[in-house]
Amino acid sequence: MTTTDSSPSSPPLSITSSIDSSSHYQTNSSMETSSLLPTHLTLGLSVSGPNFSQRQQGSADWPPIKTLLRRALANNSPGSPSSSSSSSSCRQLRQTVDNTSGDNSLFVKVKMEGIKIGRKIDVLALHGYPHLITTLENMFSTPNILWEQYCHHKKYYNVLTYEDQDGDWMMVGDVPWEMFLTTVKRLKITRTPSPSG
Amino acid sequence: MDPVRKRTKDLSKSVDSAHLAPFPDEVLEKVLSLVKSHKDRSSVSLVCKDWYNADRWSRSKIFIGNCYSVSPEIVARRFPNIRSVTLKGKPRFSDFNLVPQNWGADIHSWLVVFAQVYPFLEELRLKRMVVSDESLEFLANSFPGFKVLSLLSCDGFSTDGLKAIATHCKNLTELDIQENGIDDLGGGWLSCFPETFVSLEVLNFASLNSDVTFDALERLVSRCKALRVLKVNKHISLEQIQKLLLRAPQLMEVGTGSFQQELVPRQFAELETAFGSCKNLHTLSGLWEASSVYLPVIYPACANLTYLNLSYATLQSDELSKLLPNCSNLRRLWVLDTVEDKGLEAVGSSCPLLEELRVFPADPFDQDMVHGVTESGFVAVSSGCRKLHYVLYFCRQMTNAAVATIVKNCPDFTHFRLCIMNPGQADYLTNDPMDEAFGAVVKTCTKLQRLAVSGLLTDKTFEYIGKYAKNLETLSVAFAGSSDRGMQSVMEGCPKLRKLEIRDCPFGNEALLSGLDKYESMRSLWMSACNLTMNGCRQLAKNMPRLNVEVIKDEESDDSEADKVYVYRSVVGPRRDAPPFVLTL
Repeated sequence: MTTTDSSPSSPPLSITSSIDSSSHYQTNSSMETSSLLPTHLTLGLSVSGPNFSQRQQGSADWPPIKTLLRRALANNSPGSPSSSSSSSSCRQLRQTVDNTSGDNSLFVKVKMEGIKIGRKIDVLALHGYPHLITTLENMFSTPNILWEQYCHHKKYYNVLTYEDQDGDWMMVGDVPWEMFLTTVKRLKITRTPSPSG
Repeated sequence: MDPVRKRTKDLSKSVDSAHLAPFPDEVLEKVLSLVKSHKDRSSVSLVCKDWYNADRWSRSKIFIGNCYSVSPEIVARRFPNIRSVTLKGKPRFSDFNLVPQNWGADIHSWLVVFAQVYPFLEELRLKRMVVSDESLEFLANSFPGFKVLSLLSCDGFSTDGLKAIATHCKNLTELDIQENGIDDLGGGWLSCFPETFVSLEVLNFASLNSDVTFDALERLVSRCKALRVLKVNKHISLEQIQKLLLRAPQLMEVGTGSFQQELVPRQFAELETAFGSCKNLHTLSGLWEASSVYLPVIYPACANLTYLNLSYATLQSDELSKLLPNCSNLRRLWVLDTVEDKGLEAVGSSCPLLEELRVFPADPFDQDMVHGVTESGFVAVSSGCRKLHYVLYFCRQMTNAAVATIVKNCPDFTHFRLCIMNPGQADYLTNDPMDEAFGAVVKTCTKLQRLAVSGLLTDKTFEYIGKYAKNLETLSVAFAGSSDRGMQSVMEGCPKLRKLEIRDCPFGNEALLSGLDKYESMRSLWMSACNLTMNGCRQLAKNMPRLNVEVIKDEESDDSEADKVYVYRSVVGPRRDAPPFVLTL
């Protein structure tokens, strides 16, 4: 794997992210942000082309398979002992998939200031705020998304906010994760100008 | 018995003509009635006024690819003698949840007109239409000679609607319900076929979820001696399918139910015998959760199979490798990627007559899957199956070199649909974009009609497509391209393009407007999550009044953005049933 410059100016599209590293991240669900520096996440970018890591989260519209097959695959129950011997590993995998995608998903739009195309993220597929942050950092290829926990770090300037059920914009992280899931309508990453610019 | 409307003779014509009239009208109509394909019929109608009229009076089957391109009144006025209607509604991307509910494509207004004008309507084939129970009941009660109902990817009805069909359609020959979003309220509908009802030839309820009364099904199958297609749902057990096969050994297409029941050796043998007794069986599907233990019961039927659909059976490579040598006559094979490359190698070596292969992903959402199929499986199939011309292939890695080899082996592709599941993924060996892969496809496969592209693609791919894909009719693009130039290349080339569907690409207004000259010769254009704005769409609408430019607004997006755009030609102007979230510009 080669390292590449992940700044927005190099790829043709303004949206870039690192697919490979974030897919590794998806399975290491208990990892905290603090142990993973943003620079680690940008390594592993193998091409400086448009990458769309959002899709890794089992979106309802990608890959393009029809609902019936999609449901059949996600909801297939494990077979009886006599028939499951050869495909048990596949069924086990399917069970994990079932927990993170299929019928239980909540997609909210995420917009980053300055980027025309918004993304969507399945918040039910995430395991907590750190997971949300690093997923968004990958998605928008921007390190240092600021949320409640780190707001005292003045040099970070991408602020993550969310719109709640009342229509108010709040700082992400102000309520416990489970409560957040019940109230989040959409997400916004604002870019405050850097002190030097 | 069936009064075909005859047109009144135009007497003045025969008085005037000093020369011999080429054909009496009735003869011309008779000859033209042998022309079946709707495209040919369309050409016939353009020859001259006489031929237009002859086609008009003799046409009995009509195909409408976009229900909003025309109105039922116009159809009724032009074609007085229609017996069979095929209608398609929503854009194809509605299959993948990209079109909101209540978008439209309701069949009811069509049925109301048909009930008045075509009381002898026999066949209705619908795809991606909204059909309510009320409509089904109306249908069942309005057309006494009704024979064929085929509903594919429709929604809006429940099994109650099917009850009405079963109860009232005394002459029904086909009931084909596939992949619909319906409310399954129970299997009682099947019991509504009266005991006197014997005409069924095709019954497909594989996609319905609830139990039907097996007794009623068995009796139905027994008394319908002309039954040739029977596809049951997964609630029918192995033991039950055996009984059904014994009742109907004449079956040509069978969709089994669940293949998971525990069987004793006697039952196993009985199943083998049952499959063996179906001498006309050429299509087999269902096989829900079939495993290596019970799959051998189908072996006696395998030699005659031309179409085998294993997409609900999570077979491993060795299970498939054991099965396929029995199926040397296969033309069409659908499998899950659980069979892996090794399974596909078995395809290549056992099925030399294969023409169509579809490989679906068993775990589409697990990005860490190291299983599934790769480019080598595809290459293996192409090298053994030189007649391959239709492929749908979901994979997680691909290379330009592999695709070049594949099309070199199989230059006759008509349908090439490759889905590299990670959007924007490069050639994993060279890290190059996949441009050369699709370049090879369009340069080599001159008969290509349908193409779906994926992977990391720059504008180069689209330059190739525009330049070389002379016969391309349908193009699907997702997460690809670098600039407007990409889409422009396609709009400037591809002379036969009819359907273009694009999502998540960096194509903007300039690209959209570059197709001005093309859209009226196309059925439709879909663009979602691209860089279109309302102004661009308005400009298109302004310049092309015979196109409907519809924008589906996303509630959370900017007012100036055009998130989902659907453009189609129509002779009836903007549709009047558009919901509030669809703006026609």
